[in-house]
Amino acid sequence: MSSAKRLLHYGLFYKRTIFLAFAMLLISVLADLTGPMIAKNLIDQHIVGIATTWYQTKGQEPDAVKYQGRWFKRGTYFLPQEKLGHPITLVSANQTLYVLPGRLPANLSDEHVSGRTLTFLHGKQSVSVMVHRLTNTQIFAFYQPEVPKMLVLASFYFGLIVLSAMFTYGQRFLLQISANRILQRMRTDVFGQIARLPVRYFDSIPAGKIVSRITNDTEAIREFYVTIAANVLSSSVTMVGIYIALFLLNRQLALICLLLLPILALWVVLYRHFAVSVNHRIRILLSDINAMINETLQGISIIRAFHRQERTMKEFEELNNTFFTEQIRLLSVNSASGWNLVGVLRGLFFVAFIAYFSFRYFHLSGMIQFGVLYAFVDYLNRLFQPVVQLVNQLSGIEQAKVAATRIFELLDEHGEDIEEGEHARYQGHVQFDDVYFSYDGENDVLRGISFEARPSQTVALVGHTGSGKSSVMNLLFRFYDPQSGAIRIDGVQSTLIRRQHLRQHMGIVLQDPFLFTGTIASNVSLDDPTISREQVEKALRDVGADRLFAKLECGIDEPVLENGSTLSAGQRQLISFARALAFDPAILVLDEATSSIDTETESVIQQALDVLKKGRTTFVIAHRLSTIRHADLILVLDHGMIVERGTHEQLLAQGGKYFTMVQLQSGTLSA
Amino acid sequence: MFTVLKKLSWFFRQYKGRYAIALTLLVLLNFVEVAPPALIGHVIDQMNRGTLTYASMLQVIFIYLVLIVISYLFGFIWQYQLFGGANILQRTLRSRLMHHLLRMTPTFYEKNRTGDLMARATNDLVAVSETAGFGILTLIDSTTYSATILVTMAVLVNWKLTLLSLLPMPIISFVMTKYGKKVHERFILAQNAFGVMNNKVLESIAGIRVLRAYVQERAQEQRFAETAHDVYQKNVDVAKIDSLFEPTIKVLVGLMYLIGIGYGAYLVFQSQITLGGLTAFNVYLGMLIWPMLAIGELINTMQRGNASLDRVTETLSYKQDVEEPVHPVALETPEVIMFDKLTFRYPLSAKDNLHDISLTIRRGDTLGIAGRVGSGKTTLIKQILREYEPPSTGKLTINGVPIEELAFSTLHGWLGYVAQESLLFSRTIEQNVRFGVADASEDDVLHALSMASFTKDLAMLDNGLLTLVGERGISLSGGQKQRIALARALLVDPEILVLDDAMSAVDARTETHIIEAIRSSRKGRTTLIATHRLSAIKHSNWIVVLDDGRIVEEGTHENLLLLRGWYYDQYVRQLAQDGPTDDGPFEMQTTVKELRT
Repeated sequence: MSSAKRLLHYGLFYKRTIFLAFAMLLISVLADLTGPMIAKNLIDQHIVGIATTWYQTKGQEPDAVKYQGRWFKRGTYFLPQEKLGHPITLVSANQTLYVLPGRLPANLSDEHVSGRTLTFLHGKQSVSVMVHRLTNTQIFAFYQPEVPKMLVLASFYFGLIVLSAMFTYGQRFLLQISANRILQRMRTDVFGQIARLPVRYFDSIPAGKIVSRITNDTEAIREFYVTIAANVLSSSVTMVGIYIALFLLNRQLALICLLLLPILALWVVLYRHFAVSVNHRIRILLSDINAMINETLQGISIIRAFHRQERTMKEFEELNNTFFTEQIRLLSVNSASGWNLVGVLRGLFFVAFIAYFSFRYFHLSGMIQFGVLYAFVDYLNRLFQPVVQLVNQLSGIEQAKVAATRIFELLDEHGEDIEEGEHARYQGHVQFDDVYFSYDGENDVLRGISFEARPSQTVALVGHTGSGKSSVMNLLFRFYDPQSGAIRIDGVQSTLIRRQHLRQHMGIVLQDPFLFTGTIASNVSLDDPTISREQVEKALRDVGADRLFAKLECGIDEPVLENGSTLSAGQRQLISFARALAFDPAILVLDEATSSIDTETESVIQQALDVLKKGRTTFVIAHRLSTIRHADLILVLDHGMIVERGTHEQLLAQGGKYFTMVQLQSGTLSA
Repeated sequence: MFTVLKKLSWFFRQYKGRYAIALTLLVLLNFVEVAPPALIGHVIDQMNRGTLTYASMLQVIFIYLVLIVISYLFGFIWQYQLFGGANILQRTLRSRLMHHLLRMTPTFYEKNRTGDLMARATNDLVAVSETAGFGILTLIDSTTYSATILVTMAVLVNWKLTLLSLLPMPIISFVMTKYGKKVHERFILAQNAFGVMNNKVLESIAGIRVLRAYVQERAQEQRFAETAHDVYQKNVDVAKIDSLFEPTIKVLVGLMYLIGIGYGAYLVFQSQITLGGLTAFNVYLGMLIWPMLAIGELINTMQRGNASLDRVTETLSYKQDVEEPVHPVALETPEVIMFDKLTFRYPLSAKDNLHDISLTIRRGDTLGIAGRVGSGKTTLIKQILREYEPPSTGKLTINGVPIEELAFSTLHGWLGYVAQESLLFSRTIEQNVRFGVADASEDDVLHALSMASFTKDLAMLDNGLLTLVGERGISLSGGQKQRIALARALLVDPEILVLDDAMSAVDARTETHIIEAIRSSRKGRTTLIATHRLSAIKHSNWIVVLDDGRIVEEGTHENLLLLRGWYYDQYVRQLAQDGPTDDGPFEMQTTVKELRT
């Protein structure tokens, strides 16, 4: 499905509101069209209209005017059963009003008055009659009966305006509401998709760019629903109306005007040809800008300390300038097309029109109906107004479509639905069975990993950086899945357990502890309603963080800023430690978790861990071998393979790699 | 109402040529466009009267074609110039914003969130630039157009009638000002909500692993839904006012119409104007509707731009927390760094974070800083980065010159800094290491990496130095990242090397190698090391132990051991865990023995 179609599809979620808005739009347009007609009616009927035949009445009565001692009433105001009295006629000429006795025939022309004589043409015959010029007071009197009728019309007109205004408000408001609803829906959809995408996706695309898609790209679509759709609709309706009028007027000419339609189609194709790729680049550059701002702000202290502001600025300027250049390129396309080019088209149509009629004039004389000609010019002019409207929407449509494509691309990425519900707590019996894994599909990071961790056991993974320790954890959590081999939890292959279910009873402390904006307490509980305040406090106490945060003004309710920037690395690690404990997992993973913690605090944690390890399977990734001495199983990894396994004592006795490492670390062997 | 234009007047002055061209052509074009209908009318009239000649027809067609070309060119040029101006404004403000952000220090970043700043640099700037393009167009077009019509009405029909029908104008301007103020208020709230949303998304993505590990996807979605709803609500609040502009103007223009026709009719009744005059007046009034509606649109655009500009200006006018001295003192080399009874408090903190610190570090010295988590090690070490305003009491001097009297370039030119969290940029390893010295040779880069014990790791990477790291590259382990960050600082070969718990994720042996390399290469230069692993600082000339922001123990390694205080306890504990690192088994035994006695 194309992006445009999918955009409309999104609109359908709110079709009722949108249709209601369109209905209101039509009503207000109709009311708007009626307005001038009423004004015209007012002038024609009640101002110009008094220049007509008046008849004498029996005496004073409504709508009657006293003139030279007798009462007269406009012919149109007589009821059918009323008897018409002696007639007089008001004639408008020389920009004033004259009166003459009797009636004048219909369809006369070229009236003019000289002295007291009115001359006019009746057919081909010139007629003269004596007239009497009305004084200003008399004229005023003749208008009197019209005033109440005009007031009625005027209030009707004003009522119509108010009605139109109300519907205009309703239409605009409803469209904006639907547009905002659609954006909200899109945003929650895209955000929901974020939860479905594999972690791999986030390892390959900068966060700033993803943010740009969820917020800026959706924002670029807003106008599509607010003005673009409404404009396209109303212009199309107007165009259809004008074409109908043209066909009624002159079929041949109307057919020629139909030529406009294929031209418009070609226009759209050509515009897309020029604008699509530019629009695409603009959206990409915008997300690049977002990404760069994000990265710069994250690294600002490094940039400052290395005095790299100017270089960074230069790089940003390059990006900013490229963005500008592309914007200007799009501007050129838009300025060269749009209403400007419609103007050319209209001009050419009129030139053709002149040429065509001149040809007929010179070579087929006597065939031209001038009334039709004038009307035709008028309609042709009107026809181009909605065309301009339509063409002006093209750039907006393209922008929305390109932004939508980027959003739908993200929505179409293969993801996995989040599984709701509770998964029964498992024992924490973990088996790796000949697991192979590669991040990029080429280089195996793990090769034939097999081991078993029984419930309540502690398994330590050691090895140099890059030996694959963290990858084992990534697989355990199903952040990634292995290329081959199986991981079993309580005997069940982990790929058969939904990711969310699997993780429900796992806890992790990462080497980069990530904190969210909030408070210390909210970072421990992650605002999970199942974690009570007491649990939070207990968890913090158990990791020995209570004494640290007691010093803070608000204690554990001390605000945590973005990325926990006001806390030290050690404090952040303690918080993420407490977080893992608060969630009471069956499997606990400590990924180089105690690196930034001083020995004293670490020993507090170690004591707490000894208690908490009961009933949990614990995985420890450590580079300080001293911390894993008591592990039930130590796995030594090297280049993605387990090269040694056993307890501390067994491995020492083995005198292999582990032995060397311990000796290296304790310095009993010089390198 | 047009405060935004006033606020942007510097810009319009700077690009007055561009705007002069654009607006002149725009106005000229309005006149040129009157010609074609007249030409057609002329031809039809001539046909009607039978006076059309071949030559005059060709002439009309020729003139028409010329007009088409002129209109097209004029139209193109003014659009290109005017909207180009909007793009320039966007570019200028964006680069100012970035420039400004680059000189901000942590205090600013504690008060502002990244996602919101991103929103200001993208979403808000679009709204601001609208005023310089579409806004100006509407302003000029609608005002010149309506002025022309009004003058025509007053001159050709009746000035009294014209004036009277303008009676609702004050109401229009009053109501529009009211609406404008409301739009401004609400649009700011809407844009703020957008910034919050931006931030929420950013944080959710940055913390994706934690959220997934703790199965917080649903809860997070729930919270995002609230944020998205807030954005919706704030925008609906804007829409409520936004949608009022057009209908209100419709009603008021309707009122003008009524007054015009009503009073016009009265004047006709009084024979003061002619019927034809009234009809013409009616047509002109009709022509006024479009520019009036455009004015509503104009105010709307201007106020949105104004609101966004306020947000951008708020950021731009944030005064640097740490200002560069106007007349910096020039210093060649930092001979003595001296903390003199320094007491420091973070701007947002309620209590002092460092108390009464006095320290002297001579060129060539190594200072070790120890202490438990949260004791103030980082705070102490960051003093030399000058990220905050000078402390309230006491001072930090270099060669006797207070640090705040030094130019940033002087101070930062001396520094090599490795932070607690090793922040690498999404580039190649080589570019990351080269960060401080763009023109370093590859040999230098390799040397720095080897000092940081990264050579072996490098060999394992397929693309070697060209391996991409960070978001778009491979994920390195914590230890690898720290060592690259270290190499980055070492390549600068700085006068003062600042290591803030920089090797926490590196194993002890590797750390020892690195410390060795640093010690041998940095003879005669100053090094500050904050760490939890005391083996890394035992060779320092001076070691301070911090607790709660105070120096509680200080001295050389040997002095501190004799003190039998915190340092001693920690050292023994670590010794029992890791053993001494580089002094060989022999010394270890003696040390332990010595300690046990």
